[in-house]
Amino acid sequence: MRRTLTTIWHTRGLARYLLLAGVLLTAAFVVLAVFAPWIAPYDFAQNSTEAGERLPKLAPPSGTHWLGTNDQFYDIWSRVVWGARTALQVVLLSVLLSALVGVPLGLASGFTGGWLDRVLVFLMDALYSFPSLLLAIVFSFLLRSAVGGGVLAAALALTAVYIPQYFRVVRNTTVSAREATYVEAARALGARPFTIMRKYLFGNVVQSVPVIGTLNAADALGTLAALGFLGLGIQPTEAAEWGYDLSRALDDTSAGVWWPALFPGLAIILLITALTLVGEGLNETLNPALRRRRLQQVSFAPLSREGGAR
Amino acid sequence: MGSAASGSLPRYILIRILLVVPMMFVLLSIVFLLLRVAPGDPVTAAVGDKLSPEALESRRAALGLDRPMLVQYLEYLGNVAQLDFGRTISDNRPVLEIIKNQGGATLTLTLGAFLFALLIALPLGRLAGRHRDTALDAVIRVFGVVSYAAPIFWVGILLVLFVITYVPDWPTFGIASAETEFYVPDRTGIILLDAVLANDSASVLDVLQHHVLPCFTLGLLLSGVIIRLVRVNVIQSLKDDYVEAARARGIPERRVVRKHAFRNALVPVITVIGLQFALTLSGAILTERTFNWPGLGNELVDYVTARDYVAVQGLVTFFAVAVVIVSVVVDVLNALVDPRVRY
Amino acid sequence: MTRSRRALSLAGAAVLALSLAACGEGERDSGGGGEGGSASGSWTLGTTETVTAMDPAGSYDIGSWNMQYSLFEQLMAIPAGESEPVGDAAESCEYDDPQTITCTLREGLTFSNGNELTSSDVEFSLERNLRIADPNGSAVLLGAIKDPDADALAEGAIETPDDQTVVFNLNQPDLTFLKILSSATASIVDEETFPADSLLEDEQVVGSGPFMLSDYSASKQAVLEANPEYSGEREPASQTVFVRFFNDAAPLRNAIASSQLDVAWRTLSPTDLASIEEEGDVDVLRGEGSEFRYWVWQLGTPVGGDKAVRQAVAQIIDRDAIAENAYDGTVEPSYSIVPPGFGGQKDSFAEAYGESPDVEAARKTLQDAGVKTPVKLTLGYTPTHYGPNTVDEATELAGQLEDSGLFQVSTEDAEWEEYQTLYKQNAYDLFILGWYPDFLDADNYLSPFLRDGGFYQNNYSSQEVNTLLDQELGETDEATREEQIAELQDIVAEDVPLIPSWNGQNVAVAVPEMEGVEGSLDPTYIFRLWEISKG
Repeated sequence: MRRTLTTIWHTRGLARYLLLAGVLLTAAFVVLAVFAPWIAPYDFAQNSTEAGERLPKLAPPSGTHWLGTNDQFYDIWSRVVWGARTALQVVLLSVLLSALVGVPLGLASGFTGGWLDRVLVFLMDALYSFPSLLLAIVFSFLLRSAVGGGVLAAALALTAVYIPQYFRVVRNTTVSAREATYVEAARALGARPFTIMRKYLFGNVVQSVPVIGTLNAADALGTLAALGFLGLGIQPTEAAEWGYDLSRALDDTSAGVWWPALFPGLAIILLITALTLVGEGLNETLNPALRRRRLQQVSFAPLSREGGAR
Repeated sequence: MGSAASGSLPRYILIRILLVVPMMFVLLSIVFLLLRVAPGDPVTAAVGDKLSPEALESRRAALGLDRPMLVQYLEYLGNVAQLDFGRTISDNRPVLEIIKNQGGATLTLTLGAFLFALLIALPLGRLAGRHRDTALDAVIRVFGVVSYAAPIFWVGILLVLFVITYVPDWPTFGIASAETEFYVPDRTGIILLDAVLANDSASVLDVLQHHVLPCFTLGLLLSGVIIRLVRVNVIQSLKDDYVEAARARGIPERRVVRKHAFRNALVPVITVIGLQFALTLSGAILTERTFNWPGLGNELVDYVTARDYVAVQGLVTFFAVAVVIVSVVVDVLNALVDPRVRY
Repeated sequence: MTRSRRALSLAGAAVLALSLAACGEGERDSGGGGEGGSASGSWTLGTTETVTAMDPAGSYDIGSWNMQYSLFEQLMAIPAGESEPVGDAAESCEYDDPQTITCTLREGLTFSNGNELTSSDVEFSLERNLRIADPNGSAVLLGAIKDPDADALAEGAIETPDDQTVVFNLNQPDLTFLKILSSATASIVDEETFPADSLLEDEQVVGSGPFMLSDYSASKQAVLEANPEYSGEREPASQTVFVRFFNDAAPLRNAIASSQLDVAWRTLSPTDLASIEEEGDVDVLRGEGSEFRYWVWQLGTPVGGDKAVRQAVAQIIDRDAIAENAYDGTVEPSYSIVPPGFGGQKDSFAEAYGESPDVEAARKTLQDAGVKTPVKLTLGYTPTHYGPNTVDEATELAGQLEDSGLFQVSTEDAEWEEYQTLYKQNAYDLFILGWYPDFLDADNYLSPFLRDGGFYQNNYSSQEVNTLLDQELGETDEATREEQIAELQDIVAEDVPLIPSWNGQNVAVAVPEMEGVEGSLDPTYIFRLWEISKG
């Protein structure tokens, strides 16, 4: 871990600044999400003041409502802040869950090989070949009736979509690492398969996970917004979600009321951009083949197909 | 797919094609499983609020929805094998006909989008790669990331508003005007082609005009990914021996980039297009929704909302098959072009 | 961004090149092909109402029905702005008694393919509708002539003594049946063209209505052209009507706002309508509607089963606030189960609870009944089926109840099909539903809602109500029937099995040159394409 951080720190030039920008932006959103109750002046579904007075409808940005209000009488700044919390909740949950399922599955599949491996590879390749939005639509519809239209349903739908990516990367790394000398040695010494997987392979394989994780997080965010746009995402009474707010606001945009659409849209763009910059930055710095440090010339391997560059 | 043994080209291609069969089987099973375990049914969705429970039950039975899952599953597989995707429940259309009638619109949308994406991404990616680590590179890279990050429906609506305000006569929805759709005889299912075949220049122009906005919107999304890949490839090619050699011979840098590095960087673009096909279809669903484009994505969302299993099953199957076929074609093409690709 | 502009200009160049290459003008003579019809000109309608089937036996939705009103004749038709049917294919239809109707067809009726239209086509059409009993069809409306034990016409329900005469023998007294005969479910189809036990393909339908379907591409567009054989009262004012189908309201809104369409009819959101009106380039036309939105109590839950709680909510609900805050004032507050404009309609809820909310009265009602406050209440809604504003209405009502201090409300939602199961399974105490009438009669708002739990199975059942419903259905004296209908509404206000929320308007948006649009905006939701032309 320390080695990784050192590597990042010693990166030079543009890559470093882009990575830094991504990290800072992401951090800003994390702050919004974590401290939402203190930062947001209103609750996410609050349409009147504490005194019971109704907030104005579609009020332009002003001193009282920094980013204006939308057609549901919500304070847009509050919705954006709470939306950050929803977005990060959903994305974190889905990334964690899909890594939690995908990594061990890939590890086991790649290590065991044989019949199980083939079936799993097939299954995952099949899922992977589906357009992600299509899969998310189907899953969200499936899950809505089981777990409602909230954060959990959205996270689970996205989880299902992204498991194959972890599986593929982890499995392929495992397959190549399996033949490495130190693994052979451990096996010769009589280490049990589980021990080998845990002790020797996991550490090796897990390095690629943060990169896929961040890139997936960015992608998942876009998919979440798309679900919201199609009316298949999180309900406004459950949590504030940028995609939903955006789809409601598009109507107003045609009438020249730009603020309800602008700010959630910007939030989506900024957070996805930030996450992508982090993911790409990590990819470039951690992936020695693409790294460029001072005074060091390297040759460039073809971009790996599993690089999460979707 | 690393399991395929290395060997001769024909052997590789054969194995790649043979693998399609189990792949399809897995896909079809997933589609069936996902859609049929879901609660709710199209009959209730359509007219549930006007019928008694008994009437609903008998209508379900009439559609065969009450039979054992296994029976329905086998029947579904059998039908798909004969290219019979069934008839939609909610409006009684043969799914194959929907695909024939509306697949063309999705096809021209995606092709047009790729065209725009390449028009945007190739020059930008090349510039960024050549001026690596400069401010220009930073700007282009950020543009690439942002264009990928921007919600497609958001960009679409903003473009529509812009066009409505500044170019009032420019069409902002649909694939053709009412007259064009009516007067151009339908032969191929692709209205652009039909208009060309009919030798009707006014209609061709009309259809092309309708394509510009949606294709540009979707192309913008794709360009983000392509910029990234072109940039990396240019950087990489610039390191190659023969490029170094060209440089050593004193050929100007600009020419080195254009003549040698860039052309080589184009080869992986085929692969990119193959890999981005799934992303393109996701984007197409949203683009079609935004521009009322008469394509399959738009239909799919409608049928999902209507809970029409047969329709969704058929369309999703078709999408999946398309993705599988494109990936096979890309793999085979690559194997033909570049022997190193064969594993 | 300069890059993208260049990309655009490149595309422009390609367009130019292509159009130059494709020399030779396309042959399009617009308005052509109309030999018989005197009308000329064309106009384009945009709608989000989809067509389930062009075949009258296969649909039960506004989109399909409106195609069928233009393509077919029914025995009777309801003229714009009126509620009583007049002759269409029939010269007249009369009740001989509350259980028997005799219709006489006009002379010389033909379908657009030249085949004669006779009484046997009428019998064929209805019999076929019942036999096919399509899952998406509306055969359920023909209960009065249906064989109770099979999907078939009842023995002797329809007699055709000669080519011009049709006699209906109903299985019970039913004064609404004449109105059912004027709806699209009773469209007359050609027995030589339509199969007797299956639906006809959409593109092939043939009728005797003012228009014929000259081109149809599902979910893209339909092209209607004036039927030269048509000889009735509904003479088309235009030669050609293009109907373009939209999957989503947003592009429809932009298309009409920029005059790329001539008329947009159904369904634009309140926000869209307000903004279009503000811009003022095209006209927003409003007519009386019969759309009805209401909150149903599930009497199967402990909360919903308590009459005092139901009455208290009826006392608190602020319909003006709902109309204003959730719908931008585009809907009318509703105070009765029967919408305005029907014989016998009265605002029973306003009489019982006053027009404005009264929290004190509600508190008293609850206290008198010994109900502990705050009452925990679950509100159910469905987020997409009735449009995005349903959420706003649910939030608004929940807020009103919370603010009264008497209720503690949680809102829950489910997608439409799931929702329908859930509300029947007592998942919600109070849930929202909407209704469009099948035919214009007060009973269409009473029998389906009140008889033994209604179609929504809310466990409300009253012998008194059932008896009144039977009486009202067979009552020939109009004044007596109106009294009975009024009494039913009063009982609903007292028992509160549901709480009326609002009535919708029938709204269209049209470019200024259009004529005849506003006249057709009435509670029947029949959009009379034949009356409309572009001036």
